[in-house]
Amino acid sequence: MRLKHIEVFSKDEIQEIHSASIQLLTDVGMKIDAQDARNLLKENGAEVDTESKFVKFPEALIREKLKTVPDHFRLHGPDGHFNFEVNTKDTIFATIGTPVKIYDPLQKKGIRKTLFSDTIQQIKIVDSLENILCSHIDVWPNDISYITIHVHCIYQWAKNTRKPYGLGCLGKLASTDMMKMTSMIVGGETELIKRPRLVGFMNPTSPLHLPVIMTNGFAVFTKYKQPTIIAPEALAGSSAPVTLAGLITQTNAEILGSIILSQIYNPGAPVFYGTVSHITDMRTGNSAMGSPEMGLITAGIAQLARYYNIPSRGPGGGTDSKILDMQNGIERLQTLMLAAQAGVNYITCAGTYEATLVEALELLVIDDELAGMVQRAIEGITVNDDTIGLDVIKKVATSEKEGVNFLAERHTRDHMKSELYFPKLLDRNRRTTWYKKGAKDIITRAREKVDQILIAHKPNELLKDLDNKLLKFIKIVESRTFDDYKKAEGLMASKITLPDGIEIKENDK
Amino acid sequence: MSIEDEMRQFVEEWDKEGLKEMCKSLIDKGKASPEELLKFIGNIMKFIGEQFENEEIFLPDLIGAADTVKDTIDEILDPAIRKSGGEKETLGKVIIGTVESDVHSIGKDLVGSFLFANGFEVFNLGVEVTADEFISKAEEVGAQVIGLSSLLTMSMDFQRQVIEELKNRGLRDKYIVIVGGAPTSEDWAEQIGADGWADDAIEAVELINNLITK
Repeated sequence: MRLKHIEVFSKDEIQEIHSASIQLLTDVGMKIDAQDARNLLKENGAEVDTESKFVKFPEALIREKLKTVPDHFRLHGPDGHFNFEVNTKDTIFATIGTPVKIYDPLQKKGIRKTLFSDTIQQIKIVDSLENILCSHIDVWPNDISYITIHVHCIYQWAKNTRKPYGLGCLGKLASTDMMKMTSMIVGGETELIKRPRLVGFMNPTSPLHLPVIMTNGFAVFTKYKQPTIIAPEALAGSSAPVTLAGLITQTNAEILGSIILSQIYNPGAPVFYGTVSHITDMRTGNSAMGSPEMGLITAGIAQLARYYNIPSRGPGGGTDSKILDMQNGIERLQTLMLAAQAGVNYITCAGTYEATLVEALELLVIDDELAGMVQRAIEGITVNDDTIGLDVIKKVATSEKEGVNFLAERHTRDHMKSELYFPKLLDRNRRTTWYKKGAKDIITRAREKVDQILIAHKPNELLKDLDNKLLKFIKIVESRTFDDYKKAEGLMASKITLPDGIEIKENDK
Repeated sequence: MSIEDEMRQFVEEWDKEGLKEMCKSLIDKGKASPEELLKFIGNIMKFIGEQFENEEIFLPDLIGAADTVKDTIDEILDPAIRKSGGEKETLGKVIIGTVESDVHSIGKDLVGSFLFANGFEVFNLGVEVTADEFISKAEEVGAQVIGLSSLLTMSMDFQRQVIEELKNRGLRDKYIVIVGGAPTSEDWAEQIGADGWADDAIEAVELINNLITK
């Protein structure tokens, strides 16, 4: 059977946390900055305080809206061929993290600022990996304008991968660009809605606050039924109670409040019940992502997600280490394994370190291997007549021929690939062979794999016509000013018209 | 499909009976000589060996293939060659076994399979093999190499005893003696006066190839 999930709560404790979160939502509510969201909630029976912007969610509304949340959905790559199901049972590994620096051993500090070329390389590498199924806008490109990053990334996604992609719900304007551009790539809006390509991440701000830009983007993603990851990053002791039960109660309210809003925007819109919450280090005030408490929080969130029957997302492979050392390895496997054992359905943050601030493409390929190992571990042990293998045991044990062992048995050949995980980067050679192969450590071997992938990677061929259309779209987005962006998000009073004539109405925040 | 391709299918499928029947029928009908078929088997094992080295297939695929062709060689081709007065060509004859007081066999068996897959004739004497048994067999079959395996620090010294016994009988220079097994090392081999040491089965093949052609 599959490995049993680690559970951090009893049934009664789950109920207790659920009730406390509901109490928070009904008595205090959430501060929602976007007025159109507040209006919609009000129309649906929520109690809105215009002054404080707090919206109180009646329990009946919560109960009713949770009913339309899907328990499974599929994500597709640009051409729709590559796809996978996200559900409440399986474990999928992905990236995310938006690191702003990247490992570079040639630099004095061992890191440098991330560039757009790194972003593209990361997409290509994820495309070539076996166990990591989706890349998100991981490597934040410091060399292009903030307000154009999304279109440049989507263009490179269309060109360089078979897998789905993820971006932040970066406001109404950018999210609408994403939907328009992706629709062009996949052959129309109907196709995009029917077979989602993009994951949007939406982070409520703890405690109990939905900021305007994220909420605006969230509305667009849910309108197009692109799955959104709702994941507060609450820190125990600073933006949430230091007690883990308190943090989980608070974030549960934040997640539920956001999910209710998603179902009001568009009933049936797919969401992930997620977390990136961890703790505040009480000596430095820094967040501690590699902490064991982060594993516990993730496990608690996964358990709550199962209670609500919604696919869960949590981080794994997190580490606070600044270099590629033992701490990096210890914390990455500990948090990854805990997340998997906890039954998180979508485990993210592959390839990052220093609390996801830094990316290493070497770690990305190592994480792919770790994901394979962890996936194998949680599959557990299959027991049936064939796997017990009485016949083969009898045969080998009683053989009178010299040199008979299980290696040359058909039973071994038939089952080895399903029973055993075959690592590619971990070295299992004898010392002599390891020396002969250059006595390399795993980072060196990982670098070689990265180089091989990048040399061998073949881009997708975009039709000339589509390519021109996409480049034209990018040009238009590039011509916008930062003020245009602010106007669209309601941060400045005005109007803006999108390239295809869609008008975004004034948002008098 | 050529005869060799057809044979390769049987080997890759580990179809011992299929391969035997095919070879027997070809020889009986005079369509191929046992020497030719042996050459094909050599090519097939070389091909499979390369696949293994390139990490395209795994250990069981290689050992199972070697196991499959071994039956055909022992039961069909070897007798047919002898019948016509010849002797099958091999790269050399190697005696292998685990020394006295040690019952570990798999590492040594792997060395045997790799040597066989690479064209050597292998006499695998099993485990807890005495010095006398090693030497008698080597004398009997006219071997070039004696391979001594030991997996226990407690049994390692029996490797030395085989070498000492060869010296006592005045036969030390007649044989290449190699040692292996987890606790052994190059230093150990030197210390007891062995001709070579290998860390694993792949290394062992290379070592014997080098020592024989010296």
